[in-house]
Amino acid sequence: MEANAEIFFEHGKLGRPLALSVGLHVAFTGVIVLFSMLPGRRGDIWGAGGGGEAMGVSLVSTVPLPASPIQTQNVVANESKGLTKSQPQEKQNEPDAIPIPDKTAKTKPKPVVSASKAKAKPEPEPETNEIPYGQGGPVSGPYGSFSANGAKGGFGFQGGGGDFGSRYAWYAKVVRDKITENWLKYEIDPNIHKANRVYLVFDITRSGQPTHVQIEQSSGVPSLDNSAIRALQRIDTFGPLPPEYSGSKVTVEFWFDLSR
Amino acid sequence: MSYSHLKSSTYRTTIPFPISTFAGEMVSNLFHSPVHRFRCTLLLGLTFFIALPCFAQDWIRTGTGLGVEKVRLAASDFKATTQDPKNADLLKAFNDTLWNDLDNAGIFDMVSKSFYPLQVPGNPSEVRFEAWNGPPPNASMLAFGDLGVTANNVLVHGWLYDVKNTASPQVLGKQYTDSATTEGARLIAHRFANEIIFRLGGGVAGICESKIYFVSDRSGHKEIWEMDYDGSNQHQLTHLGTISLSPRISPDGSRLAFSSLNKSGWDIMMYSTELSRTVSFPRFGGTNLSPTWSPDGTRVAFSSSRAGEPNIFIADASGGNSRRLTTDRGPDVGPTFNRKTGSQIAFVSGRTGLPQIYTMEADGTNVQRVTDQGYAVSPSWSPNGQFLSFSWFRKYGAGAPGANDIYLMDIASKQWVQLTHDGGRNDFPSWSPDGRHIVFQSSRSGTEQIWSMLADGTKVQQLTFSGRNSQPNWSWK
Repeated sequence: MEANAEIFFEHGKLGRPLALSVGLHVAFTGVIVLFSMLPGRRGDIWGAGGGGEAMGVSLVSTVPLPASPIQTQNVVANESKGLTKSQPQEKQNEPDAIPIPDKTAKTKPKPVVSASKAKAKPEPEPETNEIPYGQGGPVSGPYGSFSANGAKGGFGFQGGGGDFGSRYAWYAKVVRDKITENWLKYEIDPNIHKANRVYLVFDITRSGQPTHVQIEQSSGVPSLDNSAIRALQRIDTFGPLPPEYSGSKVTVEFWFDLSR
Repeated sequence: MSYSHLKSSTYRTTIPFPISTFAGEMVSNLFHSPVHRFRCTLLLGLTFFIALPCFAQDWIRTGTGLGVEKVRLAASDFKATTQDPKNADLLKAFNDTLWNDLDNAGIFDMVSKSFYPLQVPGNPSEVRFEAWNGPPPNASMLAFGDLGVTANNVLVHGWLYDVKNTASPQVLGKQYTDSATTEGARLIAHRFANEIIFRLGGGVAGICESKIYFVSDRSGHKEIWEMDYDGSNQHQLTHLGTISLSPRISPDGSRLAFSSLNKSGWDIMMYSTELSRTVSFPRFGGTNLSPTWSPDGTRVAFSSSRAGEPNIFIADASGGNSRRLTTDRGPDVGPTFNRKTGSQIAFVSGRTGLPQIYTMEADGTNVQRVTDQGYAVSPSWSPNGQFLSFSWFRKYGAGAPGANDIYLMDIASKQWVQLTHDGGRNDFPSWSPDGRHIVFQSSRSGTEQIWSMLADGTKVQQLTFSGRNSQPNWSWK
């Protein structure tokens, strides 16, 4: 009897937490809806400063290295996992552990496999930490990267014996900044939040004009490809190439990554 | 009552649920019935749909070289190379001008001089890289050099070094000479600063030698005046003794168009900066106001009421071959060409009541309204053609909050941003040739004065202080 009375008492209390929970959900949804409808949440933080579209740019330190005799495509952006690789951790058995015999464990006789049916498994290649020359990702040299409001980009220079970007790091920075400021993200389809990398290749003449702008590898999103092309088309000049540089042009490979 | 019910009920009331688990269970319970499932899906979908714009909003970009990471630049005081007594004055003028020019450029993060090493270099052999590229200066670039007066000439050597790149540090090495006057030293400093800005600013020429034209009443009448971009060297150009307004310098800097009150009314006048006097320009009759130049310097657009209502007219630079572009009944004034293409004109029209900004092709077709409300006047097109700056009183009306402020609009996307805030009445914005600065008129100091700022609204500084000064116009180069 005692137990029954307690059951009814507790069963009757279930309504309150349920109502509380429904109320909580309604309030939570209301807060989200109200928050999204708040006036004045416009993009008025603009240009320089900490927020909004302000750029967080980092130039990878440039160390003048001799030019690689092996030219690899897209050295800036290869899919290499990097220089370091973690060793597989060995499973260690505790020396004092005593195996508990499982009462349900049954010893089944192993089926006999005939030698003709058994397939010889290929020997797994021993994993090494060796990294092929030129494939280890960008360590240093003519390379830079930038990021802008969820989007990323990077570039590499070809010309001047391969060390243009390190000898004239200031010019590389000018190119990076100029493209960054002329890339207008609102030209990209707003429904696209993530896309493959788009690679652009263009030349910079001695006077600093970008020419022969072409897509080396499309992202598959036409509006992203176009926005990248237009960023270059908007630029009249990057400024004349350094007077000490003897070549007639510099070839730049530039990539854009969209992720928002 | 079954035992299982007893068990479950006891379990539910005695175990404290974390809120998240409880909420999760609520959702799963709701999903048990089809009606509840539909309502819940609808509610969740609606919530995400409404909340999505919060995260999907985009920001407009400057396209002006502002907003990207700034170069950390140190500019050490130049050293004297001779013992001439004029050295001290010229060095001070030179060093101050160079520092101000670089600081005003908007693309440098200037390293404070208090962080500099005690021994500053005067020539390349004296540069100690480790003293500059590490803390406390932590500079990326270093401008340094020397100055010496010999006879009546001043000789300046200036270098710009990339101090993070010790292998090939030199970016710039220049030699300048001019007369040994303060003006000469200032001119050399402007030229050296321009060269640095040109190299590090992506091939955009510096504005250190540019001029600003404006209207001032400090002589007793409203006349056209000229000053350097930093507010120095202010002097009067016209002496007409009436009222002269809306100065607009031609792209090559040789002629200045403005509107002036004559016996016959308001006429477009032309002033030659080479001859230092007014030159002839036809008088059209009616009220003629607010002239503007096309970027190639071959055409002048202005507002004229010769046909009744003030409308936009366009004429050759000599005033010939004038024709009407707008034909509506409302007043149209203040035209300005797209400085990049020259194929579009923005103007102010009162055709729907309060003045609003409109754009049209340079032949008068394809008229489009740009602003949607309030009181919008004084459009000025940016040199890269991407932005329109104008003065806007968005909530115009009795008791409405706010005032005239300078706004910037991206023409392609129609997104705008407010540049001035809470600073009196701000009007007549005009772009600098590099597209990184805007000069404007403001009453924030009590009287109407000329102010300048970076095109993102920062670094606001007053350029004029005496009399009342208004309607600034920045030269094209």
